[in-house]
Amino acid sequence: MRKIVLFGYTKTGREIAKLLLTDEYEVTIIDENPMQVALANEEGFFGRHTTLKDDKVLIEVGIGSEAEVLFCVSDDDSLNLFVTLSARNLDKNLKILTKILKKEDEKKMILAGANRIISPYDVGAAKAFRIIQKPKVSKVLNQLSALKNRISISEIEIPKGSVLDGVKLNDIDISKDTNLIFLGMLDKDLGEKFIFFAKGINHKLDSGDILVVLGSRKDIRAFEAKLWI
Amino acid sequence: MLARWIVSFSYFLESSKRYKRVKTSIYNLLENPRSKTKPFFDFFIIFLVVLTVSILIYDVKNRLPYHFEVIENIAVSVFIFEWLGRFWISDNLRLRIIRYYERKLELGEKPKLFTILKIITLQKIQYTFSPMSIIDLLAILPAYRSFRILRIFLIFRLFKMFRYTKSLNSFLKILKDKKFELNFLLILGIFAVLLSSTIMYVFEGGGENPKIHSFLDTIYWSVITIATVGYGDITPVTIAGRVITVFLVGGGFLILVLSTSVVTNALSEKISVLRDEKVLSQIGKLSNLIVIFGFGRMGQVLAAQLKKSHKKFIVVDISGENLEKAKENDYYYMHADASNYDTIDAVVFKNDVKKVVLTTNNDALNLSILLTIKARHKDLAVIARANSYENIKKFHIAKADHVIFPYQTVAEVAVEYIGNSVRFDAIDNILVQKDTITIDEILIPKGSSYIGKSIDEIGINRFNLTIISVLKEDARNEFVFNPDHYTYKFEENDSLVLIGEEKDIYKIKDDISRQMI
Repeated sequence: MRKIVLFGYTKTGREIAKLLLTDEYEVTIIDENPMQVALANEEGFFGRHTTLKDDKVLIEVGIGSEAEVLFCVSDDDSLNLFVTLSARNLDKNLKILTKILKKEDEKKMILAGANRIISPYDVGAAKAFRIIQKPKVSKVLNQLSALKNRISISEIEIPKGSVLDGVKLNDIDISKDTNLIFLGMLDKDLGEKFIFFAKGINHKLDSGDILVVLGSRKDIRAFEAKLWI
Repeated sequence: MLARWIVSFSYFLESSKRYKRVKTSIYNLLENPRSKTKPFFDFFIIFLVVLTVSILIYDVKNRLPYHFEVIENIAVSVFIFEWLGRFWISDNLRLRIIRYYERKLELGEKPKLFTILKIITLQKIQYTFSPMSIIDLLAILPAYRSFRILRIFLIFRLFKMFRYTKSLNSFLKILKDKKFELNFLLILGIFAVLLSSTIMYVFEGGGENPKIHSFLDTIYWSVITIATVGYGDITPVTIAGRVITVFLVGGGFLILVLSTSVVTNALSEKISVLRDEKVLSQIGKLSNLIVIFGFGRMGQVLAAQLKKSHKKFIVVDISGENLEKAKENDYYYMHADASNYDTIDAVVFKNDVKKVVLTTNNDALNLSILLTIKARHKDLAVIARANSYENIKKFHIAKADHVIFPYQTVAEVAVEYIGNSVRFDAIDNILVQKDTITIDEILIPKGSSYIGKSIDEIGINRFNLTIISVLKEDARNEFVFNPDHYTYKFEENDSLVLIGEEKDIYKIKDDISRQMI
């Protein structure tokens, strides 16, 4: 079981909790508002009414020890900031994803130690914009999520000794016989930055690099098998 | 008999297409605030007014040659036709008569000639004596020979210019709201003038003051003093006169200050109303408008994106704080309550609106706006934001064209982060577009040289683009995911959905548009 701490049983928090309701994860939900905690318990989650402002509580819920991921999704940017900062202070390797409400807070959150920032309003606005400006794109994205079982975005690590190890990107035509769309990759040598292939940079693939592909499960499995040859 | 004739004539007019067309075009020229021809006509009338009045001023000292009469005559005939036109379109008499006749028919009675004539005359007399009509008539009257003496009435033509300034109307409307305060001050002023001039006349009118000959002189003195103008041509000479002057100046100052503050107050209270009216008349001229209700974070981000792609939109919010951002960015905005039908009517129904986006954080409000719009225009596309999972269904029942539940999307993306950050970044970038990488669509139009070629043949690699899928916009409505680079052949009206750098997408769009020339 992977231990996950969810701070803030807000609208976003609630949706996250729903998605994590599997045996794979152990989710600790914490909220400062007793009403939200009651709601969480009512809906079948384990909620705790406490504050994360105190480092003792942070340690108690497993930050600095077994907790892997912290979601800071309360509706108060300054509270999220404080919790992010405290958690980062306790654990250098913790994955912290923080929700922001105000654009101005984005840089602050990164400075405080959040790995990634997410904003429901940006996502919502982008979606509305797509519907207005690019109706076909939104149709395709909807189709893709509707066909969830068949088509998905997957990540594939290039194993050691694979055919792709040490190959330059422009020298091969991988999409040709795999029926997969190659979106981008994460180059181990360049740090934790995602690069879209559409940038047109000629990368050298190494073992340990991670490819992001879009395609059906079947084709992805076939591709993975091929990598070993 | 005559009654019957009038009724059948009304029916004839109602059935005549040409009559209606002429009337509509006159309406567009004279009254319709949204028409394109009206501004030119208004400008022409204002020009005529200025011209004839300047001729009058020049005429005072100089004798004009005869042909200047011609200009005057032309101007007056234009004014007469203008007034007649307004008189004509002021009311749809035929409809009133038909309605009256049909009511009578239902009751089984005969239409009375007297009532019909009453309908006709009452409406037209009402129009004739409306303030706007009187202004127009005053501009025409001095042209009549026997009224030549009233040449000074030509000045009234200047009033005509007020007709064309909307702001004056709004200003008068604002003053109407302060009727009570202004009336009170006016009565107070009249009282002060009468009182002081009577006292002055009693003390100094009997020969004590050589400048005062009549009661009128003291009234004139009183008004000049109370207005703090104080020409000094008539000054008090007795002690009593000076005492009353001191009080008059004090009181006059007070009245003046109070009236100023009443007017400024009224103006500052209503300045937002004035602004809203101006915005509405501006957006009335736009087409394919997008209306955004709610200018919170989501509305702001959406507005910024729409601005970037040069879309025309207006923002409606009840919170002045939110609208500060709209003001800064110079968007069209309305400070109004969207739960009010009038707001939706003024912003959505009265304009050429293409899409409505509801982004408030209140589902009840979003639903109420949605239902108001769908009740009137069920084909108008509405994109609604749902704020709670339970309400998504309600939006679908209310026939929202698209429902956005941002929290779920965000949660889905967030959960990806538990695994590896790579997938999270890919999805996050596609969904929120943080990078210069964007996902876009391109239509292959009729006559493009791409038709019949495969993806490899058009050289997609030189654009650095990744094609995700092809959509066919016809009866088949087919969806081809990851089309094969060699075997798939493009067809007319294919829509490509692709991922790439913004500049590369521009390049391929440019390439396609070149083929069309």
